[in-house]
Amino acid sequence: MHIKLVIVPFWVECKDNIQHNTTQRNTTLSYQIHTINQIPPSSHLFTTTMSSLLPDLTTRIHPEPPCILSPEPQQLDRFDSLPDSLLLLIFNNLADVKALGRCSSVSRRFHSLVPQVQNVVVRVDCVISDDDPSSSSNSSDKSRSISTLFRNLIGGIFKPIQALGQFLGPKRSSPPSTAATSPLSSPSTSSLSVGSVDGDDLEQGGGVTHHSPTQVLKNFNEIRFLKIELPSGELGLEDDVLLRWRADFGSTLDNCVMLGASSVVYPDKAASNLSNCDVIGGNDDNGSIPESFYTNGGLKLRVVWTISSLIAASARHYLLQPIIAEHKTLDSLVLTDADGQGVLCMNREQLEELRVKPLSASSASKRTLVPALNMRLWYAPHLELPDGTVLKGATLVATRPSDQSVQREVSDGLWVSSAFEEPFGTAAKMLVKRRTYCLEMNSF
Amino acid sequence: MLKNLNSKHIQRFSYKYLPQFPISPNSPKLGFSRSQIANYRSNFPTTIMSSSKTIVLRSSDGETFEVDEAVAVESQTIKHMIEDGCADTSIPLPNVTSKILSKVIEYCKKHVETPNADEKVAEEDLKSFDADFVKVDQSTLFDLILAANYLNIKSLLDLTCQTVADMIKGKTPEEIRKTFNIKNDFTPEEEEEVRRENAWAFE
Repeated sequence: MHIKLVIVPFWVECKDNIQHNTTQRNTTLSYQIHTINQIPPSSHLFTTTMSSLLPDLTTRIHPEPPCILSPEPQQLDRFDSLPDSLLLLIFNNLADVKALGRCSSVSRRFHSLVPQVQNVVVRVDCVISDDDPSSSSNSSDKSRSISTLFRNLIGGIFKPIQALGQFLGPKRSSPPSTAATSPLSSPSTSSLSVGSVDGDDLEQGGGVTHHSPTQVLKNFNEIRFLKIELPSGELGLEDDVLLRWRADFGSTLDNCVMLGASSVVYPDKAASNLSNCDVIGGNDDNGSIPESFYTNGGLKLRVVWTISSLIAASARHYLLQPIIAEHKTLDSLVLTDADGQGVLCMNREQLEELRVKPLSASSASKRTLVPALNMRLWYAPHLELPDGTVLKGATLVATRPSDQSVQREVSDGLWVSSAFEEPFGTAAKMLVKRRTYCLEMNSF
Repeated sequence: MLKNLNSKHIQRFSYKYLPQFPISPNSPKLGFSRSQIANYRSNFPTTIMSSSKTIVLRSSDGETFEVDEAVAVESQTIKHMIEDGCADTSIPLPNVTSKILSKVIEYCKKHVETPNADEKVAEEDLKSFDADFVKVDQSTLFDLILAANYLNIKSLLDLTCQTVADMIKGKTPEEIRKTFNIKNDFTPEEEEEVRRENAWAFE
């Protein structure tokens, strides 16, 4: 009896796949089965009857009847056992927007879950500069614009200000031959592009297709934490010079802190044991700026650094407007770059402020207007940090719009010193203790 | 001599030589900080540890595990159960098999033993433990995710989800499907539309 039960379902299923008339075979089969029942079961008999029948059927039916085998453990889709909330947790840890885009094309379930991801990181591949029209009409302009980019990056401290105007101008739309690919955003918005930079590809489609972050982020509806990473800082500097800035924007500049040094000497491992704390107070007197600072161009240099940082920050702020307008669920937005040169942050209140009160653009360039500022400056000709890093000509500048209340300056000290990552956080803390110099700047 | 001793003498004698505890507010206070207590306790491993409470956990296949309460309360689910008074005999965990439960307990033990990563050595040791911990086959990894979710152990959940995310990163959709045996349930038209939508992700 037991043998019969096992056999019958097998044969019944296969009957469907068999195209020839098998009734005869089935009666033969049933006859065969009956005989098995009457004879004392012996495995030998069983196998011979089975083997005599099998070759016939394998020629007619599909070699792998899917009904028979249950999926072996290693062929199960593991994600089926996870609820949607856990899958979203995995996607939130994944964060990278390109990886999420690929996940979206894997299956329907992934496709429906990816728009709900809350934590997204966009890594921008290149920043397009608005060169003269003649160079861009050429479909191989990609390699050219990259070289222009590099030319602008490598240069003295004064060049960057001009270069910024070029970098962050309106995006050049791609040549018409790439019309088949995804449409680009309107020229007045960002000039950032996501997508590989393939200068070698000179086929019919033109060099590269550019997709702006605005377009890429259209796929996501519930972003709360957005981080955009530019490939490099906008300010071209000589090797030794250190420049770091951090700006907070609402609808206009809330505050900006900049740390600069004319030279940095990082400690090597062997020297780090020799660091000692008493050098910090050491030769420096009362923290006041030496007279030479004003005459040898030191002050002018630092003012230029400050202005460049502010221009870079305001330009980045301008680019973010369409993204902010579209994504109402944003809690925090951070725009940083791979070099760690500048960080622009906006938190929830500031984002709301920008939506309610649109920014005022500076004339003739694609950046936000920077209001009149109060600046506080701290300077140390020679600063040695506890971990052995030595900064020469270290400067810390904190700027704030003049029309904001003076009261907030009290809590500033803490904010200023926590604006930078180590080791520069310590440097900022040490600089703040020195003598403060106040300056004012008009809006630009 | 002995005949003259009565209880009164004895009492007086013993009272006189007791250390005086001044109760005035300005007296020096006698207290120990937490680290001092922990230090003191560590000198007496056998005697003191046995007095700390242990919790019995029962897996879905009936196996029991006895763990210290400090280890067990890494799981918020178990912590709430203890607080609600459901932990008298043993805590049944019907969603967790013994294989997975033993791994989870190993994880919790390690994280409880290592003090809050003040020194770099301890932090790196923990990191390498974590890295080795997730070098398991896929089915165990996913079971760990489900167990960490059920038991509400945030650090383990983050660790395992991050591991899966790292497995997904850098792969094309076909490779993702192959790695995890995901069925492609798009129709050809749908698939083409989705690829076009996400063309920027493929370059």
